[in-house]
Amino acid sequence: MSKKWFPTGIFKALGIVWKNLWRKNIVIDYPWEKYPMPERARWSVQLKYDEEGAIKCTACGICEKTCPICAIQIDVTTDPETRDKHINHWEYERGGCMMCGLCVESCPFDAIYQDTNIELAHESRDLIRIDLATDVDAAKAKRAAAPKPAAKPDAPKPEAGEEKPATKPATEEGGKADESLA
Amino acid sequence: MNPWLNAALRVLACIGLMLLNGALIIYMLRKVLGHMHLRLGPTELGPAGIIQLIPDVVKLLVKEDRHPGKTDRWLYILAPFIIFVPALMTWMAIPFSNHLMAIDLNLGVLMILSFLTIGPLGVFAAGWASHNKFALIGAMRAIGGAITYEIPMVLSALVPVMLAGSLSLKDISLAQAGSFWYWLPGLPCLVIFFISSIMETNQSPFDMSEAEGELVEGFNVEYSAMRFGFMYLAEFANNFIMAAIIVCLFFGGWTLPFVNPTTMGWLAPVVFLIKTYLVIFLFMFVRGTFSRYRVDQMLALGWKKMMPIAIVYTALVAFVLKVIAMKTGGGM
Repeated sequence: MSKKWFPTGIFKALGIVWKNLWRKNIVIDYPWEKYPMPERARWSVQLKYDEEGAIKCTACGICEKTCPICAIQIDVTTDPETRDKHINHWEYERGGCMMCGLCVESCPFDAIYQDTNIELAHESRDLIRIDLATDVDAAKAKRAAAPKPAAKPDAPKPEAGEEKPATKPATEEGGKADESLA
Repeated sequence: MNPWLNAALRVLACIGLMLLNGALIIYMLRKVLGHMHLRLGPTELGPAGIIQLIPDVVKLLVKEDRHPGKTDRWLYILAPFIIFVPALMTWMAIPFSNHLMAIDLNLGVLMILSFLTIGPLGVFAAGWASHNKFALIGAMRAIGGAITYEIPMVLSALVPVMLAGSLSLKDISLAQAGSFWYWLPGLPCLVIFFISSIMETNQSPFDMSEAEGELVEGFNVEYSAMRFGFMYLAEFANNFIMAAIIVCLFFGGWTLPFVNPTTMGWLAPVVFLIKTYLVIFLFMFVRGTFSRYRVDQMLALGWKKMMPIAIVYTALVAFVLKVIAMKTGGGM
């Protein structure tokens, strides 16, 4: 298409800006107005509490080991007799956390979650590295009452897998166990 | 009244107007440009953020006056004033009404246009003295731009001057009250003058010497505190001056149609200011709409389009006026 002799685009652009001048702003007055956070937003890590208000963390330390940037450090004292664990400090480096969520995924007790608070800037460095829990007893590491696989009548016995290498020629039972495991 | 006191008061009035205008334009810039970009602009201090200006000025006043090493010391100190003083001087010849002006110059247009030419010299001094490559490139662009836009600007200002037969801004305004506003016969010149004004005031589609995106801040990159403040203020003063000249040359100055221009009283400066700020709003409208030209595009626009049109149109108007003068028997 040949070049137009009259620059209509200029006036089109001016018209768009003129319309924009009277349109409602697309931004909001941030500290006073806020957008609702989406339900599945994932920001800083928080501890979960049960109905009685006790923490659900058992101080197993899996999140601490999983964290790729060591943003979590749990200072634990273990009772030498009862093996009960006591959390001295549950330290969390908000400034270092990249919100990857690996700790939450790896937690076997569903004791931590990522909340939706995005306002993570703070006035002092002391507020960046915080204790989520200080000087509390860790929860007892007990399995939730999951339905046992043995409850099914035709379920394979746990010994079947262990016995398998011993009985080389595959019996009917062994074959069944293999299928069900796979 | 003592003539020295009289002169000093007039200069002070001009400085006061310049500061007030600077404050107003900064506020307009933020709010108008903000809403054009669907933003809010300042909102926190005072109603609609109007008190935001005071902390800004305080910031400029109390900031550290940094003086980088290896600068050309005296030129570095002098450059903001080379920019600031001509911008102040041009306020002298602006007619706010029939009587309200610092000096009634009979060569007002010439005086203002020639003082505005000193501005790029100060820009070049600042860029050269800063000992900074970005500043130097910005300064070079300012000089190149100045040569580009000055000639079409002066040529297009000639058309109202020829129509009114006078170089005094007051006489040109009064002449328009007697007949018609000169934007009608001088429409191409108005467009050229408008574009040149945007180039002159270093505003967005043609902000070659500042060029935020590529030259950081261009010529004033090494300046801080009140030295920067002077340049900032001069820029806004130039903004007002260009708008005021456009109003005087093409939109009848303080006059209104069907109103006697010499007996308007307090209404005259109000009308003048409203017209001027409408033109400043147009500057901002253009500034908020278009992205920046490249340097070569701007030079091509100046030399290849604006200059020939201005020369041809000015010659045409001169010819027509001569023919009319010969027909009616009057000399020009």
